[in-house]
Amino acid sequence: MKITTQEILKVLYIFSWIIFVGVCIEAGGFIFNTFFTLVVNPVDAKHFWEGLDLSSLYQHDPGFFLVITSMMCTAAVMRALLFYWIVKILHDKKLDMSQPFSKDVQRFIFRISYLSLFIGVCSWWGAKYSAWMVKQGVVMPDLQYLRLGGADVWLFMGVTLFVIAQIFKRGIEIQTENELTV
Amino acid sequence: MPIVVNLDVMMARRKMSLNELSDKVGLTLSNLSILKTGKAKAIRFSTLEAICKALECQPADILEYKEE
Repeated sequence: MKITTQEILKVLYIFSWIIFVGVCIEAGGFIFNTFFTLVVNPVDAKHFWEGLDLSSLYQHDPGFFLVITSMMCTAAVMRALLFYWIVKILHDKKLDMSQPFSKDVQRFIFRISYLSLFIGVCSWWGAKYSAWMVKQGVVMPDLQYLRLGGADVWLFMGVTLFVIAQIFKRGIEIQTENELTV
Repeated sequence: MPIVVNLDVMMARRKMSLNELSDKVGLTLSNLSILKTGKAKAIRFSTLEAICKALECQPADILEYKEE
């Protein structure tokens, strides 16, 4: 049995939806818990998110706590936005395999490349900030728990997608030229 | 583009409609329209040959170079 491109796209669409829901819950959870810890109950910092303990950071300084959680929230929201765009392009069926080089797809690739770079920069800055906090004597959880790990991967992905978007731009020009050849 | 397509002029001289030319040349109306309106980026020799045959003319009668 041969797997068609349409079937692969359908599977990717389902996976994208699942991941999108997951990252939305995570982003929402981070934002809610940040607000809850800072405004309602500081004890919540101990059980911030899935075993993530930020109590020592909060006790050190709520301002630093806000900076770290803001970066976590920003990165999480950006990840949710990334998957929203992926779900949207698959939902709108803008990936036309008979004419793959379209302006919509080019715009989509450019957008996700910029977003990946932004997530990468945000994660990298968060990692640096976390390392600086450790130097200040604050017990900080691992970057994986802070969801700020893999900055290099995001940056690499962003740069790769940017190059692909440039190739796509040339592809659109060639396709248009081909369409206007009689 | 400095290359001007004078297809409409030749069609008028030969008193040939777009539909008629389309049937003779074997091109779709939309492609002929692209060529006629000067939107075309390129033309195949086979297309040019078929048009010249149908309109009994030379390529120079259809294509013209005009400096911008």
